[in-house]
Amino acid sequence: MRETWVVGAAANRFGKMKDSSREAATRVSLEAIRQSGLEPKDIGYTFVSNCFGISEHQAHLGPLINNGLGIPHVPSATIESACSSSSAALHEAFVHVAGGFADAALVVGVEKLSHLDTLTATSYFAIAADYPFETKNGATFPGLYATLASAYRQAFPTRPEMFGAVAIKNHANAARNPHAHFQKEITMETYLSSPVIASPLRLYDCCPFSDGAAAVVVAAKEFVKSPVTEPLVVRASARSGSVTDMQDRPDLLGLPATRLAAEKAFRQAKLEPKDIDFLEVHDCFTIAEVLALEDLGFVPKGTGAKAEFDGVTARDGKLPTNTSGGLKAKGHPVSATGASQVVEIFEQMNGLAKGREVAKAETALAHNVGATGGSCSVHIFSRR
Amino acid sequence: MTASESLPSASHTIDEFVKGYEEGGRLRGFRCSNCGLITATWGLACSRCGKSTLEETELSPRGKVAAFTILTVPGEEFLNEAPYAYVVVDLDGGGRVTGWMPSVRAEHEVEIGDRVRYVSSYKSGVQFVKDAPTTNPG
Repeated sequence: MRETWVVGAAANRFGKMKDSSREAATRVSLEAIRQSGLEPKDIGYTFVSNCFGISEHQAHLGPLINNGLGIPHVPSATIESACSSSSAALHEAFVHVAGGFADAALVVGVEKLSHLDTLTATSYFAIAADYPFETKNGATFPGLYATLASAYRQAFPTRPEMFGAVAIKNHANAARNPHAHFQKEITMETYLSSPVIASPLRLYDCCPFSDGAAAVVVAAKEFVKSPVTEPLVVRASARSGSVTDMQDRPDLLGLPATRLAAEKAFRQAKLEPKDIDFLEVHDCFTIAEVLALEDLGFVPKGTGAKAEFDGVTARDGKLPTNTSGGLKAKGHPVSATGASQVVEIFEQMNGLAKGREVAKAETALAHNVGATGGSCSVHIFSRR
Repeated sequence: MTASESLPSASHTIDEFVKGYEEGGRLRGFRCSNCGLITATWGLACSRCGKSTLEETELSPRGKVAAFTILTVPGEEFLNEAPYAYVVVDLDGGGRVTGWMPSVRAEHEVEIGDRVRYVSSYKSGVQFVKDAPTTNPG
């Protein structure tokens, strides 16, 4: 396997895009390529993620993006893995580059939902669950994570303020991230007085529907030679799967796919959780960040919520988590999310995360979950 | 799957599963004759042991709530039903199913461990109602 680097990473401002997915994806792709010091003609493969493109009457986005970049002959494919689509695309790019099938590859994730009403968007999100066996039984996406929160609350002493701490931290981080959808801090009072969406989850436990686009350029070390940015060495690119349905999981106190992907990733990188300086994890709901800390092995099972409340995951804490604001406050444009986690790590390691820098940015982990954990990606990056 | 393994006996379709809930049908599922897994989720091989030894079975209509939420913001197909409980239920004879409880509309009306019973519904989906506690579950 060839040593593989992330040499460019770019995202737009999440929230509401005027651009179509096609325009936004092409713009961030060109920005990421320019940042890498490479040229579009150096790209050997384009991996696109765009779950809900059908709502814009547009599938098969890859050739259109490549055409807009002036490289229509370059092969492309769309990779879909629900909310973990673009980290799955990153994995495919890694496999191509590390395996010698491409010298450089472009990963671009994009989503546009703001032209849909909330009900339609909620229903779109729910189709990534098991439609006949979950959605048809009354589930929504917040509802499924809420059942996990109810099981967690029953098993471990948990106060609402512990979930609230996740929301407050991630909003504070997002307020310092120019890419973020929400750029305002919230108080515990705001959190506690927000309406319940799916008990025990309140409005401020939930990520928003966001538009957004993010792109990452990966390339073989031997191809780049003299990088113009501080490249991220891909130390691990691991994916896992799990039974999709809550009804087939004996254990509701975590996501089995996260545990499996983390084990694989740490083995691949020959690292342990103690070696990670900061992390971006999948916090579509506050409970998801708590479960991620535990399932990834950073804190013992049942202690994640308290660790959040105690400030362990703050920017200046022992384990800075979601310095970007996370899905919760940076926003969750489904197919752009995985790539945008890498953008945050790239900005932190390149000294571009002004106002939200972590103390030490040598090694970082990105964790991205598909829906309620039917699929999961864990990537580990370090500086050279 | 090896050549000597027979085709799975599970012949019913997802549609039959789902329509069954509406038409006074029983709660249906599969039992794996190799590892004993009981599941309500359609498949051709066992999600636990991987063998294609799933046999159709009728699931117990009674069980206990393992996890729940009260949904105030529903999806499209449950638009006029909220608030309602969405529940994960451990069935008495083994296996888990998820379903909804239109009669439960607030958090204080349900607890983990509560006994519930499957009822055939006028609406698609597995529907549960509260069941009287019993000293001899199952």
